[in-house]
Amino acid sequence: MSFLNPFMLFGAGAIAVPIIIHLLNRRRFQRVVWAAMRFVKVSTEKNQRRMLVEDMILLAIRCLMLALLALAVARPAMRSTTHNVFGQSKVTAVIVLDNSASMGVSDGVQTRFDKARKVAEQAVDALPSGSAAAVILASDIAKEVIKEPTHDLNLARKAVREAPLSDRATDLFPSIEKALETLKGRSAIRKEIYIITDGQLAGWRQLGDIHKTLKTAKEQTGEQQVSAHLVLVSDSEERNLGVSGLVLSSGLAPLNRPLRFEAQVANYAKQEVKDIKVSLLVDGTSADEVTIPSIPPGGTRSVPLNTRLKTEGWHNITVRIPGDRFPGDDARTLAIRAIREIRVLMVDGEPGTEPRESETFFLGHALVPVSAEEAEQYYVKTSTIAPADMAGTRFDDFDSVVLANVPDFSADTAIAMENFVKRGGGLLIFPGAKVNTAFYNAQLATARKLLPATFGEPRGDAAQDEKFLSFQTKGYDHPIVALWNDGNAGTLASARFFRTFELNLLAAPTGEAGEKAGKRESGKTASTTNTLASLAAPKAILRFSDGSIAMAERAVGLGRVVLFASTADTAWNDLGVRPAFVPLLHRTLGTLIQRHDDGANVRVGAQFARRLTADLLHKDAIVMAPGAATGTRDLRRIELVNGTPVLSYDATDKAGIYEVSIADPPTVIKFAVQPDPSESNLSELPVDEVTALGLVAAVQRWNPTLNIREWVEKARVGAEFWLPILIAVLALAALETFLAQYFSRAK
Amino acid sequence: MDAATLATLLDPVAISRAETLGMHARYLVEGYMAGEHKSPYHGFAIEFAQHREYAPGDDLRYLDWKVLGRTDRYYIKQFEQETNYVAHILLDGSESMKYGSGGYPKLAYGKMLAACLSYLILHQRDAVALDIFDNETREYLPRSNSHAMIHKVLATLAAFQPERQTNIAAILHEMARQVRRRGIAVIISDLFDDEEKILEGIQHLRFGGSEVVVFHLMDPAELEFKFNGLVEFVGLEAIPNILTRPQEIRASYQAEVERFRTTLRQGCEKNHVHFVPVNTGQPLHEVLSGYLAFRMKTSVK
Repeated sequence: MSFLNPFMLFGAGAIAVPIIIHLLNRRRFQRVVWAAMRFVKVSTEKNQRRMLVEDMILLAIRCLMLALLALAVARPAMRSTTHNVFGQSKVTAVIVLDNSASMGVSDGVQTRFDKARKVAEQAVDALPSGSAAAVILASDIAKEVIKEPTHDLNLARKAVREAPLSDRATDLFPSIEKALETLKGRSAIRKEIYIITDGQLAGWRQLGDIHKTLKTAKEQTGEQQVSAHLVLVSDSEERNLGVSGLVLSSGLAPLNRPLRFEAQVANYAKQEVKDIKVSLLVDGTSADEVTIPSIPPGGTRSVPLNTRLKTEGWHNITVRIPGDRFPGDDARTLAIRAIREIRVLMVDGEPGTEPRESETFFLGHALVPVSAEEAEQYYVKTSTIAPADMAGTRFDDFDSVVLANVPDFSADTAIAMENFVKRGGGLLIFPGAKVNTAFYNAQLATARKLLPATFGEPRGDAAQDEKFLSFQTKGYDHPIVALWNDGNAGTLASARFFRTFELNLLAAPTGEAGEKAGKRESGKTASTTNTLASLAAPKAILRFSDGSIAMAERAVGLGRVVLFASTADTAWNDLGVRPAFVPLLHRTLGTLIQRHDDGANVRVGAQFARRLTADLLHKDAIVMAPGAATGTRDLRRIELVNGTPVLSYDATDKAGIYEVSIADPPTVIKFAVQPDPSESNLSELPVDEVTALGLVAAVQRWNPTLNIREWVEKARVGAEFWLPILIAVLALAALETFLAQYFSRAK
Repeated sequence: MDAATLATLLDPVAISRAETLGMHARYLVEGYMAGEHKSPYHGFAIEFAQHREYAPGDDLRYLDWKVLGRTDRYYIKQFEQETNYVAHILLDGSESMKYGSGGYPKLAYGKMLAACLSYLILHQRDAVALDIFDNETREYLPRSNSHAMIHKVLATLAAFQPERQTNIAAILHEMARQVRRRGIAVIISDLFDDEEKILEGIQHLRFGGSEVVVFHLMDPAELEFKFNGLVEFVGLEAIPNILTRPQEIRASYQAEVERFRTTLRQGCEKNHVHFVPVNTGQPLHEVLSGYLAFRMKTSVK
């Protein structure tokens, strides 16, 4: 026997109330001056004993009533199979409904999610009256639709019925943990968890932990015990093709120039798949199509797709393969912004006597890698000036400024430079022999916080060619160099660096920003990469083979600064003559130019964050999610984060294009959310693992005739006793009323 | 004494009805004046009774000279004398008589009863003596049949205020010793005392030859006992206060009252005493005329 509201037992102290009332009533009487006292005296003496006994009986009944009432409110309960006379005990349940992308797999009639919702609804229906239910949607996060178990089962039913399918990956452990946490604080004799999932192997990554947690919950005693029910709604779909990746090979998307996209198509089936038509759609219109002859089981094929963008601004680039039973991974979309032209200002710190000796010779040719005739038509336009002319130049006329071996410049120029970057300009710095490192470190790095790193001591000797450093050969994390993770894209490692500056990465700007961002991230998965904190933090783009930093970048205001460790010409290295120089420079320029497009393509569930101009601060942005009905639009306010107005949006549950519109000034931003390729693999939890789960939970596979009520009611035992006690209280109340009348009748 | 007091004490309706009925002596009474009632004394009177032989010392006035002339024997003429009586009105003036639930308190009712009876008796040329008592005689008006007596009676009644507890038995014994001439003793009281002692006192009074009439006054509330809730009874006499729930002991109380009255009634009947239970809620004229009518029927002439 245990009590679900043990504190209510203190209510038993209320038995003092009738005693107090009795004593108080003895002081409230009518006074009558009376002559015939002898008769009163005789009859009182005769009846005194009887009246006392009657009083005591009534007092005892009243005290007993209150004591029983306190007992009933304390909800005594007993776990036993034999006490079902008063109906089933109330259940507090948590419905964990898997809404990950793989639940979208259809059997041709209905999806796994449709089945799961029906099962969940049946589970709610099967709860005894007076029960409470919470609803958690499980993907890689636990989304609490009904956080605290509600007694309004219609609400729970509605929440289940209207639960949306997401494109997120699966990880059931956080949801199960959350469900147990929800139940922990509840007072109920029976606690149940219903896990309704497709049993996709990817969702059971933490199977060991799940097993252990459920086992612990099952082995608890009394009201801490939780029984788990697992319903698997899968129907062993093995065949699946999916677009597992899509990237823009060139870093920039200039207008009317050929753009090359790399799409990866994976075959998750156990058989070979032939003749897969892969089509590229620009803003919904077919632009290119390639057929992959065959993909072996478990294999992945990359296909190039080409197109040109005809208009400036944002475009949706979608790659689609023929539909199958899992539509969630049959398409993948990117948001790309087309640019008309890029103006680059190169400041040459060492022009030399002839063009070839110029510090910017290789730089200029790499930025405009076409013949002189075609350069007019080319989208990158370069201008070169000497450091002395910097003071008279309007930086805002350019998209990007490159400082090549510039010794130093005036404080006014430094201020102009800072403002240029903060307004959205890109700054690329190459050091050299003439560079005044003290000026750079003090003025630009420390005072203005423009540089991602400070210059250390120069290392190596440029005069020899035996001892050199090269770029790292693998593990390219930064988007600029991520391209070279694919061996087909060539190599960066061939370049030799004879002399370099040591770069010392600066710390993140302020702790506050990090904390703030950290808070926003709490409760979300670690896979969220595009955090607000990392937006502004200086970070390494590329390292040398010895681990020292070769390239570093940081965001400043709306702009971005990239710092190299070595020269732009061949004085200290031979990067300028290596084939990788052009793509590296273009991708870097792309990052600088598309600073606004930071994180325009995020993984499903990740947070989208965009730095915006100051005039948009505190404005409301309307976010329209893909596939959302016209009426359902999310409103987000643009807030100041770390000194910059930022729009952030984290409800990226669906894959596809999200359109953000701000009314004043009229602004449209697009970003794309890509599904998690891990969801495409529909392999299921092995049978022996399911059997093992059967030890800690009641496991049931879905079939059209499955009767949830029958299945769960067998397992339910235990009863609460408040109802019989309440009936006893009512009976006592009736007895008390009768006796009070009977005793006080005229005698 | 003003007219108001007179009007309060003398109920005109009661008196007008009572006058026609009259208060007659049920037994032979010893009066001192020729009147309506038969006297046990034979001697000077109006109606001849018998002759007896002269004995030396007899008053020669009553010698029947005609018989002496004819027969030469000495006979004395004896007459049956009709005489008046003395009514002793004993009114209980103890504190318990102060009680009254709505209408008249018992004492006021008793005073009215005493006043009406006095008037009636005096009006018949009989004599009245008034004794208001508690544990001893508090007010006493010696017997008188003068017309002024009624004023004295009324004034005494009106002026009386109760102060002490009752001791009826002692008063009755005292009265029995004092009364030399047989008359009527009218006791007006609630008799809240030991009933055995009261009956002994009555018996003593009867033994002396007096007729006794007991008017037992009780308030309707005392008879019905219709109280509810928790009540503390504050005693008018010696018994300390009692806290109780009256509705729960009502039956027991009423039985106790009934037992008390029955004891008194039976005791009175044994002694040939009229026991008149009076509910002070009833109009006085009903009570008085009812009793007088009953008395007239049962009187022996």
